[in-house]
Amino acid sequence: MTLLLAAIIVAITLGVTFWASGRNTSASDFYVAGGRISATQNGIAIAGDYMSAASFLGITGLIALNGYDGFMYSVGWFIAYLTVLFIVAEPLRNLGKYTLADMLVYRLKDPKVRFYAALSTITVSTFYMIAQVVGAGSLISLLSGGVLKAEVAIPLVGILMIIYVVVGGMLATTWVQIIKAILLMFATIVMTLFILARFGFSFSELLGQVEARNGVEYLGAGVKYKNPLDLISLCLALVLGTAGLPHILVRFFTVPTAQDARKSVVWAMILIGAFYVMTAFMGNAANVLVGKDRIIEANAAGNMAAPMLAQYLFGGPGTTGGEFGLAFVTAVAFATILAVVAGLTIAASTSFTHDIYNGVMRGGQATEAQQFRVARMATVAVGIVAILLGLLAKNQNVAFLVALAFAIAASANLPVILFTLFWRRFNANGAVWGIVGGLAVTLALIAISPNIMGVDPPEKTTGRHVIQAPAIFPLENPGIISIPAGFALAVLGTLLGRRREEDERSFEEMQYRAYTGAGMDGTVAAHD
Amino acid sequence: MTMSRAPASSPPHVRNAAYKQLVAQRTRFTITMTLTFLVLYFLLPVLAGYNKPLMAQKVFGNVTFGYVLAFLEFVMGWVMAYIYVVKARTFDRLALEAQQ
Repeated sequence: MTLLLAAIIVAITLGVTFWASGRNTSASDFYVAGGRISATQNGIAIAGDYMSAASFLGITGLIALNGYDGFMYSVGWFIAYLTVLFIVAEPLRNLGKYTLADMLVYRLKDPKVRFYAALSTITVSTFYMIAQVVGAGSLISLLSGGVLKAEVAIPLVGILMIIYVVVGGMLATTWVQIIKAILLMFATIVMTLFILARFGFSFSELLGQVEARNGVEYLGAGVKYKNPLDLISLCLALVLGTAGLPHILVRFFTVPTAQDARKSVVWAMILIGAFYVMTAFMGNAANVLVGKDRIIEANAAGNMAAPMLAQYLFGGPGTTGGEFGLAFVTAVAFATILAVVAGLTIAASTSFTHDIYNGVMRGGQATEAQQFRVARMATVAVGIVAILLGLLAKNQNVAFLVALAFAIAASANLPVILFTLFWRRFNANGAVWGIVGGLAVTLALIAISPNIMGVDPPEKTTGRHVIQAPAIFPLENPGIISIPAGFALAVLGTLLGRRREEDERSFEEMQYRAYTGAGMDGTVAAHD
Repeated sequence: MTMSRAPASSPPHVRNAAYKQLVAQRTRFTITMTLTFLVLYFLLPVLAGYNKPLMAQKVFGNVTFGYVLAFLEFVMGWVMAYIYVVKARTFDRLALEAQQ
């Protein structure tokens, strides 16, 4: 039944994809749906991009297993949208470009900047994508009772996502995202209502039962994060990383005006906020109703807590209602993963085609048809890379890959975005130092952190550390060091670079445009 | 392609009063709001890290201070987004004036 429902959802979304394919006629359509998505639609799509498997499956599981500490992810991920709303959404839309690199080059006018910005975009998207592909793979193999192994499930997800993107482009991806966001909100609201009904509409009553089962420490902080610096580092990466995530940034280029960009962030904040508040109910209810032992038995990281909770709420294992609940929630989670992966693939292939192929290799001279063809080829290539890396990472904890993507985005992309928008003296040298340095410091710290290094007891076979030696860097998330390092390197590179009058003049020009939207006449497509 | 775009229709060196006001107001607003929310937000992980007894303190029934603070962060997010939307109407008006 689960596989049947999942198949129905996949069929519907594929239908949307083929419908959209008839309307994809230019490269701009492919990249940003011709800049004609409405603010509300885009807001729901942003929310959809964000409520990924890590949020729905991951956070519910984290709260179910660790109590309050898991809920701190929800708060951080939500608050991150204030950074996006206040600082990046409107100026980015006003500059009217396709990618992060476009925006940097508009100000800094150096092809090196374009190349490194594209490289960083592709790196962040890929890490984010591997996590989703691995999540989907384990979901399918668990549900099929182990019949479909991860080795089969991961390529399956990868191929589906390539079809969505190659055939449907951004328009289809946006609609798939909207459908899935609505289904996910619906599932979450229904589950929360059932939970509330069961606990006399009292959150206090629910927490009382969590305490009775696990002890009072589950109601406060500290079950998962013993070291305060670990927690602060994670929160820094969460709250600052979002504003540098390529697949979120590209969403501001799909709406006609800066006002629409602002409205879409506000819509996203309403939806995402409501969703994350409900994770507090779902996670704690999964702890009480399903129980930690059964959740861990199904998946050690807690990823199956939400589907198992649905099964329990609708009647329990073996009943028709219970099986339907499990099937529905799993199918929604599956659609979620597909949609998020499709959004990431678009961000990565757009960056490759627009920035590296057209911008750097062809000097901006590639024809529409050439770009369109390369965009599709890049999608296939990105998909294959994600499948291969997903297969390599199939036994890794997916949360670590997602946190890594956030840390890279916050350390390599955010400093450069902020300085480009707000610092007159900033120059191309600073941008290259910031991006390359931020990327290098983050990756290096991750490589010597407990995510990769550690001494495992001999009897443990899964989730083994890659390097069997005590970790050199003690924190799981490098944000607290790598984010300041990214800012510092961008400043240092700027000061060491040559001061040029034209850079400061182009700051004036860019600022005028970013603040007023002057020179924007409707859609991005209108400029081509 | 986009690269060959003509410069913005209004010359940027035209520095009218509305534009100056827009830049000054917007910069001040962005910095104030960003610092405010970051400070308020980081109360949560800092208290969670360094004052665990306070976070586990029950406030309403079994609802702990930690949950109350976390839910307040959501309210803060929505309120600040609302303030921004209201303020942005002023910015939109100034931006239009700046292009006259």
